[in-house]
Amino acid sequence: MRPHTTEAVTSVDQDPQQQQTDPTVGGTQDASRIAGAPLQRKPRRDVSQTGRRVTVSGLNAWYGDQHAVKDLEIEFAPNEVTAIIGPSGCGKSTMVRCLNRMHEEIPGARSSGSVELDGADVYGDGVDVVAVRRTVGMVFQKPNPFPTMSVFDNVASGLRLTGARGGKLRERVEQTLRGAGLWEEVKDRLGQPGIGLSGGQQQRLCIARTLAVEPEVILMDEPCSALDPIATLKVEELIEELKSRYTIVIVTHNMQQAARVADRTAFMLAGELVEVDETDKMFTNPGDERTEQYVTGKFG
Amino acid sequence: MPGQLREQFLRELARLEEQALGGLDLVCESLDRVLEAVQHCDIELAEMVIADDDRIDGRYLEVHQGVLSLLARQAPVATDLRLVAALLDVIKHVERMGDQCVNIAKILPLSGHSPPAHDEMRSKIAEMGAQARSEVAQAKIAFESRDVALAHDLVRQDERINRLNREVFKLAIEIGDDPDRREWAMHMMLMARAIERIGDNAVDIGEQVAFVVTGLFREFTDASHPEMAPPPVV
Repeated sequence: MRPHTTEAVTSVDQDPQQQQTDPTVGGTQDASRIAGAPLQRKPRRDVSQTGRRVTVSGLNAWYGDQHAVKDLEIEFAPNEVTAIIGPSGCGKSTMVRCLNRMHEEIPGARSSGSVELDGADVYGDGVDVVAVRRTVGMVFQKPNPFPTMSVFDNVASGLRLTGARGGKLRERVEQTLRGAGLWEEVKDRLGQPGIGLSGGQQQRLCIARTLAVEPEVILMDEPCSALDPIATLKVEELIEELKSRYTIVIVTHNMQQAARVADRTAFMLAGELVEVDETDKMFTNPGDERTEQYVTGKFG
Repeated sequence: MPGQLREQFLRELARLEEQALGGLDLVCESLDRVLEAVQHCDIELAEMVIADDDRIDGRYLEVHQGVLSLLARQAPVATDLRLVAALLDVIKHVERMGDQCVNIAKILPLSGHSPPAHDEMRSKIAEMGAQARSEVAQAKIAFESRDVALAHDLVRQDERINRLNREVFKLAIEIGDDPDRREWAMHMMLMARAIERIGDNAVDIGEQVAFVVTGLFREFTDASHPEMAPPPVV
């Protein structure tokens, strides 16, 4: 089983020894068995879209010789919000960055194992990485609208990728901004720079930009850590609405946020998945002693 | 694992538990006095019990406020959350038990200073009272030590009170033939009923012990579905 590394990344890998100690993982990555779930060519969006099921198995990730994610098995269901919690450095961000193949962009980073979207392995042969990242969108900790672009263009840039033009484009921009709960606030300033918006608005603009390319899975890496409480609640409301159309995975340091927004919560520690369960269960009666210790603030 | 975080919170939580369980000590005091009043027909002492119930009510308010404050400010989860929820339950039972003591104290003067007593009835009431007191004390120890087996033992203890309560009922019917003692016997029956309720409250606190420890809430005994009672934990 080959590890997930781009050629360039392999060449910067400083430790060939580590390469040999990579655990091999089960399952085939033969793209030919992936039927009816084309990642190379994105299908037109189904109106009754419900997001895709993400199945992670035997996932390992490294930064050089640092083993950041260890033998992870987890599944993210459509129309559900799954929160990943855990202390800093536990591998939660790394794990979600493996879901849309962002991890391998970091020099020295590599991973192995499989990540399937409704059965199609995103690490399969011949899979178009760009298509993967379009299907599995990502929202980051710090709002990062394109700095030189207007509010309109921030969203339109993504929509143009889907082929929208002219009047249809304007219609879709409005639709997308509405979908991100931002339209009413920005409809009179569409031509102004995106970075002129407040932090919370910028973050929802970034969510709109992510939605514009019609993803099916949305990854959020600490999407509210730079926002004030009200902006945070607005984003959380938005997450609740988006849930009906997407599979959502949110990494958060804020356990109350996980408790508020997530249907299921996963607790990671030192690169391993300790426990994943219904959020109610995780915060009232967790099964693992380490989860109990962490959520009650006894360590972390 | 590194040293305790949230020490401040844990101190507050421990103090809240002490306050709530301390309410059980107040109940024991109240129960001691009202039982003594019953045995000696001491109406002044009974009046003191009624007046002092304000202390138990005050404790209820303190703990209730403390629970709200901890929930609002500290957002406890997992075992901490279950403990906070259980303390709210415990203090409610404390308040109810205090009220039952007051009920007994209020019944006492209805029969006058020297009622036509019946010794067997009176001794059964005394026995019930002593048993209820010991259950309240046992509930406190079980909670403090998170001892599920001891908590579950309250069910067995409480059966004694229930049996005595039925005996008091039968006696009251027998005595009922005597017009001079009929009213007194009815009053005694009401007292027995109040004591029996105190025992039930102690058992309910025992259920909260099991909830805090295991995370599962199940009634130790389910009067409406006796066949579904869980097997005793030993």
